[in-house]
Amino acid sequence: MSGAPVSSVPAVPSEPPSEARLARAALTYLAEPGDPVLGALLAVCDPAEVLAVIKADTLPVGTTVNQIGQIGLVDQANQIGQVSQFGQASRAALGRALGRWRVRLPKLPAGAGIADAGRDGIRLVCPEDAEWPTVLDQLGPARPYALWLRGNADLRFACSRSVSVVGSRAATSYGAHVAGEISADLGERGWVVVSGGAYGIDAAAHRGALAAEGVTVAVLACGVDYPYPAGHADLFAAICAQGLVVSEWPPGSRPARTRFLIRNRVIAALACGTVIVEAGERSGALNTARHAADLGKPLMAVPGPVTSAQSAGCHRILREWGATCVTRAADIIEMLSPLCVPDPLAPGGSPRPAAAAPDAWPPSGAPSRAVMLSQDDDAPCRDDLDADCARVLDALPSRGGAGTSTIAVEAGVDLDTVLRCLGQLAGLGFIERCDRGWRLRRH
Amino acid sequence: MPLARTHSVALVGVTGHLVEIEVDISNGLVGTILVGLPDTALREARDRIHAAIVNSGEEWPYRKITVGLSPASLPKRGSWFDLAIACGVLAANGKVPSAASAGVMFFGELGLDGRVRPVRGVLPAVAAAVRHGYDRVMVAQQNAEEAMLVPGVRVIAAATLTEAASWLRGLPGPGDGGPAAAEYDRADDLPHRHVPNGVAGEPRSPRDTLRTGAMTPDLAELLGQSMARRAAEVSAAGGHHLSLLGPPGAGKTMLAERIPGILPELDRDAALEVTSIHSVAGHLPEQISLLERPPFFAPHHTATKAAIVGGGSAVIRPGAASLAHRGVLFLDEAPEFARDVLDALRQPLEAGQVTISRLGATTSFPARFTLVLASNPCPCARVAGPAEGCRCSPAARRRYLGRLSGPLLDRVDVKIELEPVSRRELLSDRSFSESSRTVALRVVQARERAAHRLRDTPWRLNGEVPGSELRRTWPPAPGSLAVLERSLERGLITARGVVKVIRVAWTLADLAGRPRPTRDDCHAALGLWLGVRR
Repeated sequence: MSGAPVSSVPAVPSEPPSEARLARAALTYLAEPGDPVLGALLAVCDPAEVLAVIKADTLPVGTTVNQIGQIGLVDQANQIGQVSQFGQASRAALGRALGRWRVRLPKLPAGAGIADAGRDGIRLVCPEDAEWPTVLDQLGPARPYALWLRGNADLRFACSRSVSVVGSRAATSYGAHVAGEISADLGERGWVVVSGGAYGIDAAAHRGALAAEGVTVAVLACGVDYPYPAGHADLFAAICAQGLVVSEWPPGSRPARTRFLIRNRVIAALACGTVIVEAGERSGALNTARHAADLGKPLMAVPGPVTSAQSAGCHRILREWGATCVTRAADIIEMLSPLCVPDPLAPGGSPRPAAAAPDAWPPSGAPSRAVMLSQDDDAPCRDDLDADCARVLDALPSRGGAGTSTIAVEAGVDLDTVLRCLGQLAGLGFIERCDRGWRLRRH
Repeated sequence: MPLARTHSVALVGVTGHLVEIEVDISNGLVGTILVGLPDTALREARDRIHAAIVNSGEEWPYRKITVGLSPASLPKRGSWFDLAIACGVLAANGKVPSAASAGVMFFGELGLDGRVRPVRGVLPAVAAAVRHGYDRVMVAQQNAEEAMLVPGVRVIAAATLTEAASWLRGLPGPGDGGPAAAEYDRADDLPHRHVPNGVAGEPRSPRDTLRTGAMTPDLAELLGQSMARRAAEVSAAGGHHLSLLGPPGAGKTMLAERIPGILPELDRDAALEVTSIHSVAGHLPEQISLLERPPFFAPHHTATKAAIVGGGSAVIRPGAASLAHRGVLFLDEAPEFARDVLDALRQPLEAGQVTISRLGATTSFPARFTLVLASNPCPCARVAGPAEGCRCSPAARRRYLGRLSGPLLDRVDVKIELEPVSRRELLSDRSFSESSRTVALRVVQARERAAHRLRDTPWRLNGEVPGSELRRTWPPAPGSLAVLERSLERGLITARGVVKVIRVAWTLADLAGRPRPTRDDCHAALGLWLGVRR
């Protein structure tokens, strides 16, 4: 067990869920996440009031709604500058919004079971809860109304030392390898990897963190009980056991194209920084990067071959958006540490939950493994290699790859020897397979 | 004498069952009755035999003829009972001495003109006859060579029914200028005559030069693919199933075709087994003695389940898996095969045989083959990369390779990726390329070592040893797994992959003549395993 911040399952509230809690659960069913109108409403009103307004048959003209329509919403909207179309037409906009939320009213599960915590290990976390990651408050009116969670870790605590590692689904072996390696290293050092649970880089990142027994958080664009992509059902099960699956959408929701883009802002907001491992020119990962940049969060990118279309997006954000070039976990930690380590709960500044107190880190008196690892660089050491292996390693070209026989001739060893040395070097992580045979792995 | 007995063999799969044929001629309504579960082809024997006997100038008894085939419960299919029934009719009619057919097994189809025509499945039938104590068999002349493959049998090669009848009458054979069928003890005595026609009613498949071994391509021609050559050697030595991944033109098919060339020759029992299967399938090339080279079978990817594992409703015939018995079954473009076809291979991979149940009979064919799968990395078969223009979506690629089911890939011990060969690699590889003959020698020795080590077990090859047994009974030398464990920790390899690496390490140790895998063997095996991008 590494020093990953896994807390026990948060205590299920014994008292019946409060009215506000039920209302927030209901709102996740009614409105698409990131709806700025609802966000603005929730900023000035109680969730139960908002729900009552939606449920009311006609647009009420009471003082509360007047206040929302005339003052609160306009000010709020102007202030954040994101719903500029408000202003004079705010009442009309509110009416339209109420209409679109109301269409889902028939689908709303009835009764207090809506926010039921025990169901399939799924629980609801609201902004009023101790587990709510206050970093999400940076999203302003786009803040999630509530989050549905599945898994054993504590979300707020997990996010206090976290990195989002995202990238293209159409990952190359290089990208998947780098994502896995970086995430494993981050996991070993007690950092939490946040990603989107998709194929390619996302999966490699989650798997890397899981392999290092680290905590990993998958933010989905569908219900936490809806395995999408279906090929990742096992992965999500593993993540639930060791980390968290998080969604703004209520259980049972299906994924949709636009939902991934809405979801990306949560990935960017939850983590202390965002690393793009591989992204094509039109990759969704660039959307996550944009959110991170907008939030003022550190944005990092792993470079790839300049010839690779899969890395073109990474190179663009390095060039145009001022992202930091990172190649290994240590670079990322160096980039983030001043932000996160002093006070993991700094943004937001709400009262700290006892379960997630920062003095739980490092978890015991003994020096944690993370500390030991950061002192001793994990790169394999050439000095330990036998003579043949050293020669074979030297025979590998410094750039590009070479075939088995080419390496054997270059090193002056026979085929059996070269095969054994290549196996050993690959096993130790010096080299890897590429399009043209074997090549050196960069550390 | 109104009752006569002759004997023939019924084939169920490749297993022969002795059939006694009784012919009774009695007074009654003129006609011929055939009893004892005959199929359509056999029922038609009545008309063929009548015409053949009359056209051979013999007398047909125009009385009530009852032909009984026993055991009556055994379904009898095919046309090869004609000769036995015809001889039985002649004997019952008193035209030939009935004692002459004692101890003789008859196996041949009759033409309407009295010719004895060759049939499929002579080898397993003759083998069954010998097993039941018959040392003389009468077959069509064209089948004589095949029948002669069974040791300790005297073959009477009849070209016509007249020759057969003359032999039964004890007349002199062709050596003495007589009309009787010739008898042979040794294959060398056979007059090698070309017969233009194939087996009756069966279009013969084109002669496969690969199978005969005479023109097997050499492994040395696969220049620039040293890893792949090594993988082929390992696969041949340990009986490991092999998966080849690579773009078109990298040499996947070339490699697979060369594997039979480095496999050891079949021993006599295996050769008989293999030849029997090919005989039943009607795939034996003409003028072939025993199939001593391991067969190579490469079905097209549109093949049906029945074509791969065997099947058929009336006559159950062996499929590609059995035709590749003791050899190589090569599935080119493996992901293009239908999913159920691939999954049907799981039983033979597990059990070494195929059991097919159809109405009336359940048949087992041996099917212990080395599976070689070849796949392109994606359906468009263009090299991956930004420039070459593979436009397959990640989902399409994933789906494509995902068509190879997990249980099937679990049986594959050696995975190898082939890249297009660069000029430099081609030049470098010149000093390492070895001829098939050199490699085959190592393979034979490695197989002997493995067989010796596994002598008290049901397995003969490293590839057959289950993982649990491998870990319990045959661990590699202590301390040799350090790098392997590290790879496991780093997630480069799975626990299941470790078992496969150890299994391959044993084969590498056998190839190198070491008593057990050392650290070097484990590293080399790991190199073969990690030689595929993940």
